[in-house]
Amino acid sequence: MSFLRIHAQPGRTAVWTLSWFLFAAGIVVYFYVAEQRHRENPDDRVMPTISQMVRGFSDAALKPAEEEETQTGGGSSIVARFRASMLWKDTLASGRRFVISVALLFPAVLLGLHMAMFPVIGAFFLRFILFFDKIVALSLLPILFIAFGIDELSKIMLIVIGVAPTIILDTFNLSKSVPREQVVKGFTLGASDFSITYRIVFKQIWPRVLNSIRLNLKAVMLFLFAGEMIASTDGLAYRIALLRRHMGMDIIIPYVLWVALLLFLVDFGMNKLNHKLHPWFEER
Amino acid sequence: MLRLIFSNILRRFTICSLAMALIASAPVRAATPSFTVGWSVYVGWNPYYYMAKSGILRRWAAKYGIDIRVQRFDYAPSLDAFVAKNIDACAMTNMEALDMPAAAGVDTTAIIVGDYSNGNDAVIVRQNLTLAQIPGKQVMLVEKTVSQYLFERAMAINGLAAQIRQVHYLNTSDSDIASAFLTNPSKPVVVTWKPLVSQILKAKDVKVVFNSSQIPGEILDLLVVRSEVLNRADGSGQKFAKAITGAWYEVLKLMSAPGPASDKVLTEIAEASQDSLVSYREQLATTHMFYTPQAAAEMASSADIRKTMDLVRRFCFQHGLLGEKTQSVDDVAVQFPDGAVLGKPERIRFRFSAAYMQLAAQGKL
Repeated sequence: MSFLRIHAQPGRTAVWTLSWFLFAAGIVVYFYVAEQRHRENPDDRVMPTISQMVRGFSDAALKPAEEEETQTGGGSSIVARFRASMLWKDTLASGRRFVISVALLFPAVLLGLHMAMFPVIGAFFLRFILFFDKIVALSLLPILFIAFGIDELSKIMLIVIGVAPTIILDTFNLSKSVPREQVVKGFTLGASDFSITYRIVFKQIWPRVLNSIRLNLKAVMLFLFAGEMIASTDGLAYRIALLRRHMGMDIIIPYVLWVALLLFLVDFGMNKLNHKLHPWFEER
Repeated sequence: MLRLIFSNILRRFTICSLAMALIASAPVRAATPSFTVGWSVYVGWNPYYYMAKSGILRRWAAKYGIDIRVQRFDYAPSLDAFVAKNIDACAMTNMEALDMPAAAGVDTTAIIVGDYSNGNDAVIVRQNLTLAQIPGKQVMLVEKTVSQYLFERAMAINGLAAQIRQVHYLNTSDSDIASAFLTNPSKPVVVTWKPLVSQILKAKDVKVVFNSSQIPGEILDLLVVRSEVLNRADGSGQKFAKAITGAWYEVLKLMSAPGPASDKVLTEIAEASQDSLVSYREQLATTHMFYTPQAAAEMASSADIRKTMDLVRRFCFQHGLLGEKTQSVDDVAVQFPDGAVLGKPERIRFRFSAAYMQLAAQGKL
């Protein structure tokens, strides 16, 4: 039974097989059940077969979006067709909200840093943000509507309010964990408050903060989806909410996989970038 | 090591005893067939809450030797559960019965026609806007539901069908639509249902320009059962349909008792949606309940319902609600109590049955 022990050394093929096993099992079970359901009821929409999903997805990705059926160019290239499609428009709308919200998280990093470095700023904000962090933003929607309307702003603010406190507190803790001796040493070498903050502390915590933002992307996405499902005219979650009304699982499942792929790529990209920028940073 | 072995034994023991408990309980379950009814909060469906709570349902179920469970859902999940065959019967509108279970190949039978919306659903505008002024503006509603159906019927009836394409729908979740409309003066139109309508109308400068009393009998609230349950070989499905129909009309009779006699019952029914008696009575005023089985059976067998279902199925088909691959509106056919069919006879997916309501009318339940 040594292969189950801590010092087991599975070979390359074994690792490869093991790591893909659950994927394969999931896919097999899904299609087995889907097949059975379709044999029982050919019109079943709860668990679409692979051909239905492929058709659903290619329709979503290559057919022009409903609103502008007029300008259908039959012979245009795949890229042009993709760019006129429902999927592309939804991705663009959601992507825009996503990028703006993530960009708005960076001021939160600065706030956390300053709170840690300057005791007066810390005293002013810390208690409030600790409290604010525990507020479930989703349950305060009616107030958010008054403050930010129900258009783009409220969706972005929902994300920021939901995720920013976590980032602020994380940055705060990371900044505090930089050894005090370094700060003292900086002062003895004649550094100013700001060069201590930005050139000693911030430089060290930055890759960890990036990591923390990266790990919170899932939360960003959850709030984005919640916002789009509450009120919107476009976006990936808007489409999923609409399709749910008539059980369009043949498009919903590919959409969910598409979102997972995009999220994975963003996560992967940020991780790679972080290591490129900070080769000395070893945590993952 | 010893501890490990011990925990292993313990685990095995637990699994064994669990398995035995399962085996022991299985025959008991099989003895009385059990059925689950899903309902969601709505003026015409709240009676299910009272039916279960008051023991009326238990009495009827016992009479037919079956078990009936009543479970509250949010509306959309109740439809999902019904389509996934997790529950046997469900309260839903005629439109959803067609575009959710029926279009997904789950053969569905409506056994009770409970009521129709007679003003519960409304198009509300700010600043005295008229229907003709709506094209080009934003309309808040839950897209692809009866709200959109009501709105498009309103436009069509007023000769504005061609302009529907210029309306910008803003899909808004029903749990937030009232507060979202009230706090955003920039959005001029909302389409929703009661009690949200009553809540919105308390605000200043808003008024109803169209409501469902102008299309009477088109938004029907039904109790539907999976046809395969109804046709079970052991006859338990029939017993279930009889029991629930019997219980339903017993409750409705209590509800319709004149004057203060019904106050106590209505107060308890209103509890289902955390409403007061006054508010529930106000909602009932815009709901045409079929209090007697005679009236309900008549409605189910009428020529009007055929016209309604034709309008509804065309609406669903035009908006892709019957599924992307459904080529023709006739592919999801509807059958009426006299056997007449709308659509292809070999593709009947949604049936209206007046049989149980008639049995109730004849006092044979």
